[in-house]
Amino acid sequence: MSSRYVPKVSRRSFLAASAGLAASGLGLPRVSYGLQPRGLASIIDLTLCDGCPGKDMPACVAACRNLYQKTVPDPVDPIPRLYPRGMIEDWSKKKQIYDRLTPYNFIFVETAEVEYRGNKSTLFIPRRCMHCDNPACATICPFAANHKMKNGAVVINDNLCVGGAKCRAVCPWAIPQRQSGVGVYLYVMPTLAGNGVMYKCNLCHDLLMEDKIPACMDACPAGAMVIGPREEILADARGRAEHINGFIYGIGENGGTSTIYISPVPFDIIDKAIPQGPGLPHFKPAKRRMAEASVLETLVMGSPLVGIAAGVAGAFSILSRRKGNEGGTE
Amino acid sequence: MSERILEDKGLVVRHSVLELFEHWAIALSGLILILTGLFQMPIANRYYINELPGLAWSADYIVSLKVHYGASIVFVAMSFFHVFYHGILGDRGMLPRKGDMKQSIEVVKTFFGKGEEPPFHKYLPEQRLAYLGMAVIIGGLIISGLMKTYKNLIDPQMSEALTLLATWAHNIFFVLFIIAFIGHMAAIILKPNRPMVRGIFTGRVRLDYARRRHPLWISEIVDHPVTAEDQPESEADTIVETADPEEHEITEEEASEDKEKEEPRQ
Repeated sequence: MSSRYVPKVSRRSFLAASAGLAASGLGLPRVSYGLQPRGLASIIDLTLCDGCPGKDMPACVAACRNLYQKTVPDPVDPIPRLYPRGMIEDWSKKKQIYDRLTPYNFIFVETAEVEYRGNKSTLFIPRRCMHCDNPACATICPFAANHKMKNGAVVINDNLCVGGAKCRAVCPWAIPQRQSGVGVYLYVMPTLAGNGVMYKCNLCHDLLMEDKIPACMDACPAGAMVIGPREEILADARGRAEHINGFIYGIGENGGTSTIYISPVPFDIIDKAIPQGPGLPHFKPAKRRMAEASVLETLVMGSPLVGIAAGVAGAFSILSRRKGNEGGTE
Repeated sequence: MSERILEDKGLVVRHSVLELFEHWAIALSGLILILTGLFQMPIANRYYINELPGLAWSADYIVSLKVHYGASIVFVAMSFFHVFYHGILGDRGMLPRKGDMKQSIEVVKTFFGKGEEPPFHKYLPEQRLAYLGMAVIIGGLIISGLMKTYKNLIDPQMSEALTLLATWAHNIFFVLFIIAFIGHMAAIILKPNRPMVRGIFTGRVRLDYARRRHPLWISEIVDHPVTAEDQPESEADTIVETADPEEHEITEEEASEDKEKEEPRQ
């Protein structure tokens, strides 16, 4: 590992300094995380994360679980059996699992034994929702239960979600996880429509709105995760990567995200070294599939004008012919 | 306006080629929108629809969304064309008139053998009301759909309140659109309406039917015979000589006589 990169303005130090100055009465304006008009972004610096050795579980994971695990309700018993496939996803009896994403575990830290340029090393990698800039999971939700907030957080409203898992199907990393037997679908036609609620990291949106940083970042003893105004974070991330001659993941993936990984090892090597499967996001290139529809979306937006132009032209053509006929008759 | 009597063929032109094109463009694109709208719900995989021949794409939300967008280009453009073209030309035949609600109830009663149908204009009073209802539903679908498209294309961080409004309005109008479509199809089941079905395929209905059931429309045709200048180019050369108004002025008495003559054939 190379020496730690110190950005010109560290978010944590800036916050701390602001708080200290505010407490001392000097009144330096605080950074307003919740209402940043341009949105926020975060860095996960793999040169700093050490997986919290000696702890039962990494501090970020523990802090997240402490905050959110109790917010996921226990499912009804028995969980309604879905017609016709019968599939349900019940994690309520496996809440203790913290080495993958589950409805009760929004962040986990994976370990990758990698070799790059002859050097063997171990990387510890916190994984959670990437909070994409134009997230298909939110775009395509048929009930608007998933929304991209102004501050950049992509948040699922568990009061509106019916657990169709469409968000997971269109997410390049299949992040959202379903808990069957909970949520509003139980009150409609539980065997025919819906299947629970989808859960994932919400970037601690409520804390951000109170100008507090997300619980995982607040708990990280190594300062491996920071959050701040998007443009500053992007510059910070590029500076960190340049400093270690390292690699970035998250700026361009899926059309852009609000989570930027910094690594001393290329991400294709990391991808081969991490476990793969459900609840275990990859580090492969991620194309934004919704971009395939951009041309059609533009045409849809233009279609009223085409209809109006054709209608006006056609009608006036008929009217002028009628008028010509009346003139001829006279 | 293209209505005219084709005396020698025993038919009346009810819809122009352009009107047929408008109807079918909106109807077929609307059907595709219903289907792909349903596929935006997680049903295709769950209910094995994607395992039906030719429907493997139905479980891919991005593909079905692209088909949805493709159909909505036709649907939206034709809807705007319809409003502006007929609005400027002053075509008001399908707009509800005073008393349509009351008259519709009377007409519905006749379907169950109570009372007699009054003489109709080109459209039945309930058709005019249904047209208004369908126009409101389609208008709601288009406005909310354009808001959703704008969000997807330009403003993914559109306010949550506006996003919820557009999404739920689209969902509610979608359900109403399906109900309206089912109602539209159900109207064909009613025997007295069946002679109108050929009209929406060929543009023409039987003259004897029109004289019996739509005498007020026939009167309008003979009072205001169509001229070549009223026609779009594609139809101007197909006009058949209009019947002499003096010979074919239809009165309500004659209409009821015609009806009596035709009764055994029903």
